[in-house]
This record gives sequence, structure tokens and C-alpha cells, in this order.
Amino acid sequence: MFNYFIRRFYLLTITAFILTLLAFIIEHWTAHSDINDNMIFHYWDYMLAIMQGEFGYSTIDNQPIIRVGLIAFASTLELCFFAFILAGLVGIPLGLFAGLKRNGGIDYCIMTLALIGLALPVFWVAILFTMLPNMGGWLMPIDGNISSIYEVPVVTGFLFIDSLLVSDKYQLDAFLNHLIHIILPSSVLAIFLISEIIRLTRHAVTMVMRTNYIKAAHAKGLTRSQVVYRHVLKNATPPIVHQLRLQISTIISFAMTIEIVFSYQGAGMWLFDSIQQGDYIALSTAILIISGFILLSTILVDLFLVIISPTIRKSFYADQ
Amino acid sequence: MLINNEFNEQKIQSPLQYIWSIFRNKSIAVMSMWAVVTLIIIIIFCHYIIPYPPSLQHPNMLLLPPYWADGSEQAHLLGTDDLGRDTFSRLLKGVQLTLSGALLITLVISILGIIIGATAALTQGIKASVLHHFLDALLAIPTLLTALILIVLLGMSFENSLLAVSLSLLPQFIRGIYICIESELNKQYLIALRLDGATNIRLLRFGILPNIIEPLVTLLNRSFTMAILEITTLGFLGFGANMEEIELGVLISQNLDLVYLSPYLVLFPGLAIFIIIIIFNVFSEGIRHAVIEGEE
Repeated sequence: MFNYFIRRFYLLTITAFILTLLAFIIEHWTAHSDINDNMIFHYWDYMLAIMQGEFGYSTIDNQPIIRVGLIAFASTLELCFFAFILAGLVGIPLGLFAGLKRNGGIDYCIMTLALIGLALPVFWVAILFTMLPNMGGWLMPIDGNISSIYEVPVVTGFLFIDSLLVSDKYQLDAFLNHLIHIILPSSVLAIFLISEIIRLTRHAVTMVMRTNYIKAAHAKGLTRSQVVYRHVLKNATPPIVHQLRLQISTIISFAMTIEIVFSYQGAGMWLFDSIQQGDYIALSTAILIISGFILLSTILVDLFLVIISPTIRKSFYADQ
Repeated sequence: MLINNEFNEQKIQSPLQYIWSIFRNKSIAVMSMWAVVTLIIIIIFCHYIIPYPPSLQHPNMLLLPPYWADGSEQAHLLGTDDLGRDTFSRLLKGVQLTLSGALLITLVISILGIIIGATAALTQGIKASVLHHFLDALLAIPTLLTALILIVLLGMSFENSLLAVSLSLLPQFIRGIYICIESELNKQYLIALRLDGATNIRLLRFGILPNIIEPLVTLLNRSFTMAILEITTLGFLGFGANMEEIELGVLISQNLDLVYLSPYLVLFPGLAIFIIIIIFNVFSEGIRHAVIEGEE
């Protein structure tokens, strides 16, 4: 198993190397197109600078670009995480129902909902959601992360944590204000995620229900809920997690679109502003930050899968 | 599998005929097929279908609601926008540009993707290895970010946004094809074909492609859906088609200021995107079920 992770780490380094190469090419084309220096020496300088954490300075406000980017991306992650919780709470039970009652009336209803959720254009739904408070008469903010009356200093970059850190000044008000700001954007993202999770769960549950150990469990006389909780859920989780891992980049690009509609200060808004103001150094930094996160998360998800699933563990022991 | 006609001779259907005969029996699938045909007719003959030229302004009929609402005009089926331009004509023009762009992207992606994916799967050594690592790196970049970068590098126009979207969707398609072919290569009939001395091209044409129709349809559907969503997203953000070109995403962003005054102007383009995607999804799902049943 240790060998497996050494191998994964080795693959990660190669991929990271290619990513720095891509980021360098973009940086070279956009920001330094006038330099006629040797490309290889230039790349070497670029790598040295990156190793020391020198990504350059934003031309908009002269801040270190890596700091601006990381804070923005932290907001995006917060959005994705919140949407994930919402989607998991709704999507997994619905997918389970659909998978258990396959080809029944409930199944068709749920799958139709999932099909609609995947077909809706995200930015359009976001626009409709910005109109919802007006139509329903709710007092709900539709732009930004947090009301500007709260001065929250950046400590971790995650606003949920930062707003709790200033709780001696505002009590829980800053936290609740951020929470109410994040509900609408994350529910838009959750619509897509729910349909994706429903499809994956239904497929995984159907595959598990066909196996012999479920028949054996039924034959043992377990009730339906016992079978579901003891056998179906445990065996259906690894394929769902594995498939969701492949969807991370899609989820992040949807989140970036939603941010721009809600003017939520995340990675999408940051890139949008930077491109419109000609600050192209943000692009290469964004590649390094976002893709670096996705690479790291794939490794972490693999580790998680090994922890929760004995069958994957067994395959490691077998090849030693 | 057998057809008996009146002369009592037995014909064996070709696999395609068999799949078609299954497909024909499903009413939803056939309906979606006709809807797809209608959409393609709209693409080709859009110029003759639309009642008014899309940029013709009717100064005395501004912001009309669609025909079922109060205060509408029969002449403008879905109302007009703030310059008095007919919404229905603009919508059909938008469908034409977006849908033809998405279909073109899907075609290009499928050809390039099958070639590159098959090369990666069927060859060994340094070529496959380089492709593999390069794909891994490209897959880690979100598609919207790739498209934004390419747009910045190439300049903003509708053609460049099509190029950017197709290049950003290509890695996922190649990876999908690669996984399909890889799982197919371990099967007995392909090993038998190899032992017969088949070249890679023959292997691909007669051994692999007929057997990966079902995952291929899913992949094509997925890239088509993503292509439409990304073209419209780029148009909406102002990085794709410019304001003179009528594209569904651009239509939404143009009318965004009027959303409280006349919400229909934002509602209809989004519904059009939604309906196009639903129709193609149901169609591909019908094909997929027919193929699965045909294989069994």
C-alpha cells in the first residue's frame, strides 16, 4: 500500500511539472511577450521564483497575486463545500429510493428531476434565483459574500472561520450574515450536484442490489432497512465517491460561473475582473492554484477510498 | 433477429437494422428523434422561417409581452424587446448559432478524440506515456478556466470561443474513449482478432468501434451538453459572440437589465437552451437503450 502511494506521488510530480510548464507558457505569452530571452532560462527563473513563493504582483492593486488568488479560491471552496452538504442531504436519499424501486413510478419521477437538473444552464438558473427574493418578498441578499458593514480580517481565508474569529466584536452576526449570503448561490450549485449524485447513487445501488450477497442477506431474513444500512450503503459509497472525484473540475467551473452572476468574491469573480482589466498574470496563477487543489484532492480522495473500502485495500495487499 | 416475409425465406437483420427496429418501438425515443430533426431543419432553414429580420426595429411596439399575456400583439408571437425587435425571430437565430456551434464542436471532438484516444490505447511506449501524462495534467484544469485562457490568448470572438470550448472538452472525451477501448482490449474476441494478425486499424474498425457504441453515445451526449452550456456561458460572460451576433447566452446578458421590466426576454433563451439539451438527452438515451437491448 505504501508502494501504491509512492507511485501516486510520483505520477503527481510529473503532472505538476506539466502544469507548471503550461502555466509558464501562458505567463510567457500574456505577461512577458516582449522579452526575447531564452525560453529555457526564463522557465528556470520562473520555477525558482515559484519555489520561493514569488508569483508576481497584481497590476490592479499591487497585492501579491498568490495571496489574492488563494483568498478568492477559499471562498469558492466554501461555496462548493456548502453546496455539497446540501446536495448530499437531498441527493443520496433520492438516489437510494430510485435505485431500490428501479423502474417504478418513483424511479421515473426522480430520474426525470435529475435529467432536468443536468439540462438547466447554470448561469440562467442563477439569474432566476437572484429574482426569487424579489418575487417571494424575502429579505435576502443576492450579491457578495458578506455585508460590508462587517470588517472581517483575513486569517484563514475561509469566511466561515474568519467571521467566527471576530465573534467578540459582532457576536454571531457576521457568521449568520455570511451564511445567508451563501444560501442562494450554493443552492444553484446544489441543483446540478443533486442530479449528478442521484444518477451516481442510483447506478451504484442498482449494481449492488444485483449481487449475490444481497440475496444472501435477504435469505438470512434481514429486513429491508437492515439490508440497506448494513450492506447496500457501505458497498455503494466507494463508486459514488470515485465518480464524484472525476467531477470536481466540472463542479468548480460551474461554481465559478455562479459566482460571477451573484458577484460572490471567489475565484470566478477574481478571474473575470482580472481578465477584464488586463491583469493576465492571474491566469497562470489560477491554473497553479486550482489544478494544484484538484491534484491534491484526487490523492486525498484515493486515500479516503482506501480507508472506507476494504475491497480496494485487498487489491493492494494482493500485488505485494 | 429473423424476418419472415411471405416467400418464407429467412433474412438476418444487420445490427443497425435490429437496433433501429427496437428504437422504432419506443414512442418517446421516436418523438425526440423528430424533435431533433425539427431542430436541424430550424438550423438549416432559419432564414426562411423567421417572420421578421432579427435586427428589424418596430419603434411603436416596445417591450411587448408574449401572445398569451395582456396587451400583446398577434403579429409578435413572443413579444418584442426594448428596441422593438421580434423576440421569436431573435430566439430562432440564437438557436441556429448556438446549436450549430455545439454540433460542430461535437463532430470535431468526436473525430479528434477517437483518433487520439485510440492512439493512446493501442500504442505502447513513449507515445502513450507522454499522451497519458499530458492528459492527466489537462484534466486537472477546469473547463471554464481552459476556455477563458484560450479566449485571452486568441482574442474574443465567436469562432475563437468555439475553438476554446472544443479544446477544453477534448481531454475529457479522450479519457472516456481511452477507458472504453482499454476495457475492450482485454476481451477474448479482440485477442482472437489480434492472433489472426489484424493491424491496429482493422482492430479498431471491426473489433472495437462496433462494441463501444453505447459508451460512445453517452460520451457524445455529455460533450454536446457541456458544449452548449459552455458556449452560452462564454457568450453570457461576454467572452464569446459579440453583441451583433445573436447567440442564446448573449441574448440573456443583453436583456439582463430588463429582467424586472419584461422577464420573458431572459426566460425564453434559457428555456430554449434547456429544451435543446433535454431533447438531445432523451434522444441519446433512446439510442443507448436500443443498443443495450440489441446487444442482449
